[in-house]
Amino acid sequence: MSYAYLFKYIIIGDTGVGKSCLLLQFTDKRFQPVHDLTIGVEFGARMITIDNKPIKLQIWDTAGQESFRSITRSYYRGAAGALLVYDITRRETFNHLASWLEDARQHANANMTIMLIGNKSDLAHRRAVSTEEGEQFAKEHGLIFMEASAKTAQNVEEAFIKTAGTIYKKIQDGVFDVSNESYGIKVGYGGIPGPSGGRDGPSAAGGACCS
Amino acid sequence: MKMDLMSGYKGVVGLVFGNENSSNEDRYVERLLDRINNGKLPDDRRNAITELQAVVSENKAFQLAFGAMGLPIILGVLKEERHDVEMVRGALETLVSALTPINHSKGSSNEVQPDLMNTDLLSREEESIPLLLSLLEEDDFYVRYYTLQILTALLSNSRQRYKLNSFHGSLIPEVVISSCLERTLADFFFRLQETILTIPRGITRLMDMLMDREVIRNEALLLLTHLTREAEEIQKIVVFEGAYEKIFSIIREEGNSDGGVVVQDCLELLNNLIRTNASNQVLLRETIGLDSLILILKLRGSSYSFTQQKTINLLSALETIKLLLKGGSESDPGKDANKKTNKAALVQKKVLDSLLILGVESQWVPVPVRCEALRCIGDLIAGDSKNLDLLASKVLGEEPQVEPALNSILRIILRSSSMQEFIAADYVFKNFCEQNTDGQAMLASTLIPQPYSMNHSFLEEDVNMSFGSMLLHGLTLGENDGDLETCSRAASVLSHILKDNLQCKERVLRIEIEAPMQSLGAPEPLMHRMVKYLAIASSMKSKDGKSNASGNSYVQAIILKLLVTWLADCPNAVNCFLDARPHLTYLLELVSNLSETVCIRGFAAVVLGECVIYNKSTDNGKDAFAIVDIISQKIGLSSYFLKFDEMHKSFVFANVESSLTHRSFSRSSAASMADIQDVDENDLSEKKNMDHPNLSSILDSYFVNFVKRLEANIREQIVEVYSRPKTKVAVVPEEIEQKKGESEVEYIKRLKAFIEKQHTEIQDLAIRNGTLAEDLAKTGNSLQSEQRVSGGMDRVQIETLRRDFQEASKRLEMLKKEKAKIESEAIMYQNLAAKTEGDLRSLSDAYNSLEQSNLHLENEVKALRGEGHSTFPDVEAIKAEAREEALKESEGELNDLLVCLGQEQSKVDKLSARLLELGEDVDKLLEGIGDDAGAAEDFEDEEDAE
Repeated sequence: MSYAYLFKYIIIGDTGVGKSCLLLQFTDKRFQPVHDLTIGVEFGARMITIDNKPIKLQIWDTAGQESFRSITRSYYRGAAGALLVYDITRRETFNHLASWLEDARQHANANMTIMLIGNKSDLAHRRAVSTEEGEQFAKEHGLIFMEASAKTAQNVEEAFIKTAGTIYKKIQDGVFDVSNESYGIKVGYGGIPGPSGGRDGPSAAGGACCS
Repeated sequence: MKMDLMSGYKGVVGLVFGNENSSNEDRYVERLLDRINNGKLPDDRRNAITELQAVVSENKAFQLAFGAMGLPIILGVLKEERHDVEMVRGALETLVSALTPINHSKGSSNEVQPDLMNTDLLSREEESIPLLLSLLEEDDFYVRYYTLQILTALLSNSRQRYKLNSFHGSLIPEVVISSCLERTLADFFFRLQETILTIPRGITRLMDMLMDREVIRNEALLLLTHLTREAEEIQKIVVFEGAYEKIFSIIREEGNSDGGVVVQDCLELLNNLIRTNASNQVLLRETIGLDSLILILKLRGSSYSFTQQKTINLLSALETIKLLLKGGSESDPGKDANKKTNKAALVQKKVLDSLLILGVESQWVPVPVRCEALRCIGDLIAGDSKNLDLLASKVLGEEPQVEPALNSILRIILRSSSMQEFIAADYVFKNFCEQNTDGQAMLASTLIPQPYSMNHSFLEEDVNMSFGSMLLHGLTLGENDGDLETCSRAASVLSHILKDNLQCKERVLRIEIEAPMQSLGAPEPLMHRMVKYLAIASSMKSKDGKSNASGNSYVQAIILKLLVTWLADCPNAVNCFLDARPHLTYLLELVSNLSETVCIRGFAAVVLGECVIYNKSTDNGKDAFAIVDIISQKIGLSSYFLKFDEMHKSFVFANVESSLTHRSFSRSSAASMADIQDVDENDLSEKKNMDHPNLSSILDSYFVNFVKRLEANIREQIVEVYSRPKTKVAVVPEEIEQKKGESEVEYIKRLKAFIEKQHTEIQDLAIRNGTLAEDLAKTGNSLQSEQRVSGGMDRVQIETLRRDFQEASKRLEMLKKEKAKIESEAIMYQNLAAKTEGDLRSLSDAYNSLEQSNLHLENEVKALRGEGHSTFPDVEAIKAEAREEALKESEGELNDLLVCLGQEQSKVDKLSARLLELGEDVDKLLEGIGDDAGAAEDFEDEEDAE
């Protein structure tokens, strides 16, 4: 229950790219081949450890359908991290990335960490987007990039943890004012060693306590 | 459409306020608006808007006039003149005034409510909501404040739509407008919710207001509370935006339950967020935990003073607990799992201790809070064995004055002066005993009767009194002072202990109570005592007349509930009940006593039925047969069954499902303890012979369903009893035969005895049959719904009828098949006949024509003959002449023919020779000639025969 930090994530991307399956694989370690369409927004959570500190991830999985865009947009600003997902076997989901990114840039806070994920890497024989293209796009827009498979679980852990690592690093570098919870980051009651721990010492958490 | 409405409103203005006045006001508002719209001097425009705001805030007529004309202009100001803070402020304040009710309380229901009209008009402006939300980002405090007020007013006004129903009754001709208005306002609330969702960061902006200055923060709380009603997506976003942290930090700042109305607002928002939203409940657990919530329930410092606000705050927090214990909306499949986790988390945070303090221990807590806390305890333990054990092991008080929590709760049941509190505490025991045989056994084990003298020497405050003694004491308290109220409350607890638990039922059956005075006889079973109280309750009622009717019917209902529960599945209990003959008589009387409520009669009928279905007795006059006979003789089967139907239609049964209502506390300070007062004193004067309103809390759905199941059993069993004879006349063929070594005399004697037995049985049956027939005759033609019942009364007959029917239908089937066969044959023959007929007709036609021509010829012949006779002399001459001529002619011709023939013959000869030469058989070739004609004649003969 106790954690050093709590990070809020959102998962965005076209409908059917496997957002809910990635979340399920991450939180429950299982794969569900047929998943109901997400209505609005669903919620999941898991603890991870970074730099020996317990970190709680709260993840909001959004509906990809256009009709829910106005609802899902409300979640951008309060998130510390976003997983932007496309499907490597469907070119159009890759082509739409720019518009998703634009949406995110417009509504999210500027420091939000965005991880680009090419999902369904297990379906290499039906690949429509090459790894290089994904890398190229990520590089151009300053995103972290990974190809993953919610089915085989390949890179799923890594994607969520690497995003958390990046956020954690930003905190250490003093990028965030962690006392302001609207950035999607919360300092926990437990887990931070030293006298400066706890919610009363946000300035100390801004970088002084890292090893 | 819009134009129509506008003019419609103007018409309304005219009608309601009279033409002369309204036109003045209209003109005045119009002038002000014109100055605002077209004025050149900034100061003049500002003055105009200030003036406009002032008149609109004071007078309904100006409110109406402004609504009809001013909105576009004011919205124009808000859009175009953002830089002029003063104008924007003025415009917003005018809108606030236009949406605020003026003197609603005294307004007659037929009057137009301008604030609601203006709400409707403003909501029709597509751009209004985005415009208002954008104003929340302005720096000016008043701009943000007024904007929030406008949004809140829009939301709360649009929820008042039902008040507009009265609009229909008014004299206003444009009824179209009113129905329009109603619909749009009904939709508007949800439309506004949706609109805010579609505006990027719309909710986010509202959430930011919670961090603003106090005045704005409080206004934003109200707005968010409105917005989150029944809107799952908004609820989720609000939580995502950190609502929990903000809510609880405000509550902490305000001093938890000691805080003011803001704490109440916070808790109401919190309850909206989790009411039907399991996902948000999970987040509450996971994000900030439940400590802060339980902290609100803790009483600190001056815990003996409870202001009204504190009471409401505590009730709101208990509502939060209750919602968590429900686990989400009914339809959510994950509800049960979530409920379980919530329970575990709450128990881990020691919520039970806090609840026990509020519900049981503290003397100063107001009754409504105690009740709510007790209900929460009930919910907490329901169906959770760990929590059941936890409650059973709780001990309250300080050494040495400690006692088990359950004993304290029982004391509340027996002693509380509030009916509501009794019901709430009873709910704890109901849930404690459900599916908890061990718990029931534990409580039952303490039921040890004390000697009578000791019974009354107990100090009521004695914490050392065991649960059982306290309960028995309560059960028999009515002995002296006629306090049947306490007795019935104890009976309710006892019925929980006995429910579905045969061992406990048997155990309690053995309990005997000493007679009040030793001289009055032997101790009697507890059950008999309960029946006695039941009888006292009804007799007291008939003595008192109507005044006390509902009170005692409720006592009766609870004791009957105890009996129904006790007798179920327990032949020994039935036996014990029937041990005293008057019991049955009394029960029969109760069933048919029309001054009792339908519920009482119904329950009494159920108890009677249990005496049939759970009757294992073989005694004459006490067995199932005897009971059924008595029922049918004294009550009549159909009217007996009718009691069940009436019971189902009764108030208690009909209401059992809909007892869950969500109440929200009124916010205004005058809002009265009425909200939180006991509802003991319900006005019943109008409804005579009505069941007690609290009955539905005691007769929970579990019991109602139980009674329904029992009823079906009873119906079946009674029919069963009627459809087979008693075992005593089972006919065994061997018995009729003479046994070996049996003398004639003995045989005859035996047969005689046998016949006598049968005779009595036949007489029994005849009597029964007679009663049934009478019953049928009485009710058969009056009620169709009884057809089923009376039809079922004689299953034997139905059985034979059914068999007959089956046979008949089988035969019918066969006949049908045969018929079909015959029919097809008939058709075949018909066709054949038709054909033959046709043939015949053509033949007869041919024959007719032949005959005709024959006749014709004959006539001709006759005529010729006649002619011949009349010209006789000439004829001979002519004849001779003709003959000569003919002879001559024919001779010539004959010669010609002969010549021809000869020629032909020679030709034939020549050809035959030639054919012979060619190898052709001439004779064969010529054979067929002449046969053809004969064959045709044969065929015609055959057809004739047919």
